[in-house]
Amino acid sequence: MKDRRLHLAVGLVLVAAATLVSAAQAQNAPAQNSPLPLPPAVEKELAARASNVTEVTLGKNMLGFAAKFMNDKDEDEVATRKLIEGLDGIYVREYEFDKDGQYSMEDLQKLRQYFETSEWSPIVRSRERRTGETTDVLVKMVNGETRGMFVLSAEPRELTIVLILGPVRMEDLGKLKGLGGLGALGDVERDVHSKDKDKDKTTDKEKEKDKTKGGTE
Amino acid sequence: MRRLVFIPVCFVALLVPVVVLAGGGQGGFDGVVRTIETRYHVRATRIPFVGLISFVSRKATHGGVSNLHVAEFEYFSPAMDGDELTQLVETKLGSGWERVIRETSRNGANQTLIFMHPEGARMGLFVFDADGHDLNVVEVSVDPDHLNETVNRYDHHGHDWDVDESN
Repeated sequence: MKDRRLHLAVGLVLVAAATLVSAAQAQNAPAQNSPLPLPPAVEKELAARASNVTEVTLGKNMLGFAAKFMNDKDEDEVATRKLIEGLDGIYVREYEFDKDGQYSMEDLQKLRQYFETSEWSPIVRSRERRTGETTDVLVKMVNGETRGMFVLSAEPRELTIVLILGPVRMEDLGKLKGLGGLGALGDVERDVHSKDKDKDKTTDKEKEKDKTKGGTE
Repeated sequence: MRRLVFIPVCFVALLVPVVVLAGGGQGGFDGVVRTIETRYHVRATRIPFVGLISFVSRKATHGGVSNLHVAEFEYFSPAMDGDELTQLVETKLGSGWERVIRETSRNGANQTLIFMHPEGARMGLFVFDADGHDLNVVEVSVDPDHLNETVNRYDHHGHDWDVDESN
């Protein structure tokens, strides 16, 4: 009977010690792994092949705090502050490669496929055969509102992924280009606007055609 | 006899967590610096009067910048594995610190890690930067409102200077 008690007491002490050790280790656990909502395998593969990798990860908390650094007296900065405060996250990944062909079209397709859901719709898709550059811009639409944006820009030796989650307006995109790694957004805004202009031009031409048709008929 | 066995067992069992907590368990800035020293067999150059510099910067910026910690490793030559390094720093900083920027090169010579940690109205910033043979680790606490005021003050001076130049 005494033996059993002794064993029980020793066991309890050992369990308590193990709990203390694991609690101490848990306190020092890593803060995060990969907060980007992308397939981790693709990210890892690209990072392994790249010579330089840049990652920008701004969650809602960090964006809220970053917004405090905006100047209240400057109108532009106030607008940017409002935009940033409404966002859920900004994620940027930039991969630079030593030579061409370090990533394949399949890799790009894997990334695109991840966003090929009913919520995400492509708004810009450009391919330059001469330089091999491709740009894809997709937006997340929820109840008719833009709730996210995904930009995939690929050059032979550089691959850039930008993911913005939260309400985004195209006209405000250029305001974010001042933030680290988001310089490409100014180009996206221009692309979107030029696309709209092209649309307008084509509709104007169609209208003129209709007029002339109507006149001759 | 059994008591004689029980007492040392209890002593050893309680000693283990104490050693773990006191040794490898140290986190934050000091924990990161110490781990780098141990892992890469290097010694950080102690910058004299950092505490005084931190105090002066706090006063000069009206609380905009405080809690300054700096560790400098000169002639740092060991190659670093980016993933291992990130893991190491994240583990030592602990929860609450979020990595916002990471720049890493495959050859291991250039590594930049920036972490942020909300501290009420203030923000803790932790910067790890390795460039060639120089490695710097900096931790600082900033108050965006106070810092903004200070930056704007100099910003206006900068604009005035630009105007003078153009004239």
